[in-house]
Amino acid sequence: MKARRFGTLIGLVVLCLVLWALTPFFLTVSNLLNIAEQTSINAIVAAGMTFVILSGGIDLSVGSIVALSGVVLGLSLHAGYSPAVALPVMIAAGVLAGATNGLLIDRGRLPPFIVTLGMMSIARGAALLITEGRPISGFEESFRALATARVGFVPAPVLIMATVYLVAHFVLTRTTFGRYVYAIGGNEDAARLSGVRIHLHKPAIYAVSGLTSALAAMILTARLNSAQPIAGTMYELDAIAATVIGGTSLMGGEGTLAGTLIGALIMGVLRNGLNLLGVSSFLQQIVIGGVIVGAVLVDTVLKRPRT
Amino acid sequence: MERPALTMAGIRKSFPGVVALDGVDLTLQAGEVHVLLGENGAGKSTLMKILAGAYRRDAGEILMQGRPVDIAGPRDARALGIRVIHQELSLVPSLSVAENIFLGAAPSRFGVIDWASLRARAIRLLSDLGVAIDPDAPVNRLALPQRQMVEIAKALADQQSASVLVMDEPTSALTSREVDVLFGLIERLAKRGVAIVYITHRLDEVYRIGHRVTVLRDGRNVSTAMLGDTSVSGLVSMMANRDLADHYPKQPAPIGNELLRAEGLGRAGVLEDISFSIRAGEIVGMAGLMGAGRTDVARAITGADRVDRGRLFVRGRAVSFRAPADAIREGIGLLPEDRKAHGLVALLNVARNIALPQSRKVAGPAGIVPRRAEAALAAPVIRDLRIKATPDQQTRQLSGGNQQKVVLGKWVAGDARIFVFDEPTRGVDIGAKVEIYQLMNRLTAAGAGILMISSELPELLGMSDRILVMHRGRIQAEFTAAAATQERVLSAALGLAGPVLSESPARTARANRVEG
Repeated sequence: MKARRFGTLIGLVVLCLVLWALTPFFLTVSNLLNIAEQTSINAIVAAGMTFVILSGGIDLSVGSIVALSGVVLGLSLHAGYSPAVALPVMIAAGVLAGATNGLLIDRGRLPPFIVTLGMMSIARGAALLITEGRPISGFEESFRALATARVGFVPAPVLIMATVYLVAHFVLTRTTFGRYVYAIGGNEDAARLSGVRIHLHKPAIYAVSGLTSALAAMILTARLNSAQPIAGTMYELDAIAATVIGGTSLMGGEGTLAGTLIGALIMGVLRNGLNLLGVSSFLQQIVIGGVIVGAVLVDTVLKRPRT
Repeated sequence: MERPALTMAGIRKSFPGVVALDGVDLTLQAGEVHVLLGENGAGKSTLMKILAGAYRRDAGEILMQGRPVDIAGPRDARALGIRVIHQELSLVPSLSVAENIFLGAAPSRFGVIDWASLRARAIRLLSDLGVAIDPDAPVNRLALPQRQMVEIAKALADQQSASVLVMDEPTSALTSREVDVLFGLIERLAKRGVAIVYITHRLDEVYRIGHRVTVLRDGRNVSTAMLGDTSVSGLVSMMANRDLADHYPKQPAPIGNELLRAEGLGRAGVLEDISFSIRAGEIVGMAGLMGAGRTDVARAITGADRVDRGRLFVRGRAVSFRAPADAIREGIGLLPEDRKAHGLVALLNVARNIALPQSRKVAGPAGIVPRRAEAALAAPVIRDLRIKATPDQQTRQLSGGNQQKVVLGKWVAGDARIFVFDEPTRGVDIGAKVEIYQLMNRLTAAGAGILMISSELPELLGMSDRILVMHRGRIQAEFTAAAATQERVLSAALGLAGPVLSESPARTARANRVEG
């Protein structure tokens, strides 16, 4: 387990060293901050995804929830509400969509794959319906600061990402809820017989994923100065990839948030580096796909019992 | 006498910590129905799994028609004409009867299934077996007994080569009329020269269908005899374990107030009219064969399963459990039968497993777990139960005995006063067994009450203050420790008339009502 985490970190470092050797533009402060900023949205979505995958589930609806909570935010702001009102409303929308996933999975005894696949379509449809398919653009500077402001030299999205990871890491490692996430993913029956109230915690786990999707939507909307009903497409796959590259087992019960952050950074660094090197975006997709499969392959080989 | 169809000689098989078979012999003649008897864990299933190629024997010889054979896998067994019908059915629910019968052996030409021939052969086979089942019906629309018949048809699909047929409790789901059909079929097969091994717990059937009987006990042969030379009581006493050399360190504790009382608990098709009580300081044993409903009782009184009927009282107060968490709040802890599936979170470390039921207490109101709080909670438990592990070790790395102690530790560490132990010593070595018995003594001495479910009669007799015997979802009999003998408990578990010692007034009252 420890070796595996270091493995991912070593992978990230080696990747950075290779890119440093190949291009002088890679290892500059502005480029590294650029990577962190570009990674922030996927990393935040992946944090919630990690809760879900640790519990033995999967959430395919995160991208659509990003779009839905984004347009809820855009409409609220355009209706004249201040960010202090609009942000809680859009976060509530994300949490509600996530909790609905969890309730259906738990009470309906449905596979997470099916429920969140349905929510993927429903939330996307809802986002398109309430905007009639049109983007909502043009927001006040005070709101856009969430993406554009800098504290010292650190971009606001990077600070938000760091905060999300610190809080989520604390919740996962130091609270009963975090313990239950691991226990449910490791052995749901044993957890239930040990007094874990599954009915309460399963919806909460998916609500966390809805929450992080909404936070990602907040940054995305501020950065683009536009809330788009077609935003967030394929986010679920990037988030799952970051989580899995970070060493979280798709079977549940095993993994860390630190791993997920490293996984998201590997994907960000790889995209950035390939861009700097002028690799075509078509080839980039092939490389990233190879890295995902390769990371899990290494994981599986390392975990195989030695005989 | 002609050469036996099958000879198994000196078969040995051990699993980590347990010797399942210790030199077992079995000889089958062509055309005989040979009954294999024994308690749970006597070794019947292991022996048959070796015959079917599911397990590899450690030592011993298998001969067919006098020739030594090597059965390395299920394919070898099939090729030798050995067919096994397992208790758990192995049909594909969505496929039709005919498709299931010829699954993997469908008549085909160039890889394309010859449906006409497949149907015709299925119809011929089913009518040959004397069963009226639509060959085109999907199996998931059949009732359980019909599925059993399909299972048998499947085993005989290439009957030319079937020389040994093993049936493991084939009648457990059948009505008496269906049993008649099955027995007619078995007789016809035997007349054709198939050697049949018939495993059952229904002693009444044994004399109807069997020619010879072999009794196993603790992985050894007790006896092989013609059924005409044995009586039911003779068979029961052969199955019962007389080896009481094992020492059980039972220390009786003063019996106190009633901790838990069940009144008429029932769940459709599983449990019926379950009434009993557990008092402080008392170990109540629960005996019964597999599938008699013992685990269902354990799950019903710990909130793991809902019940349809009946009432539950904790310290005289009526309670209703919607989830295990509710039962835990009332101080009830369950050690489940299958510790891997239900007891442990194998990926978590020892401390977190032990602390899991106590998470709220460990964490305090804000839900934040102080650093090392779980280790601090677990450390004394690890010491007291002599668990050979550190708090930070993953539980999947531990031996069976140590894993079991971790599951016990989950409840010992908390406020549980009522312990439900389902097979507490299964799969643990003798040293750990004794430690678990001593732990039970300490718990009862401290005023706890224990319900101990076990398939090991000596253990039940050695440790219990009272013994309840389950049979087909009911409590068939209740014995005091003094009145319980292996023969009496086993007879009751087999459903043979067992004397109900009516100690509890509730039971007597109900019995009187029914009579009046």
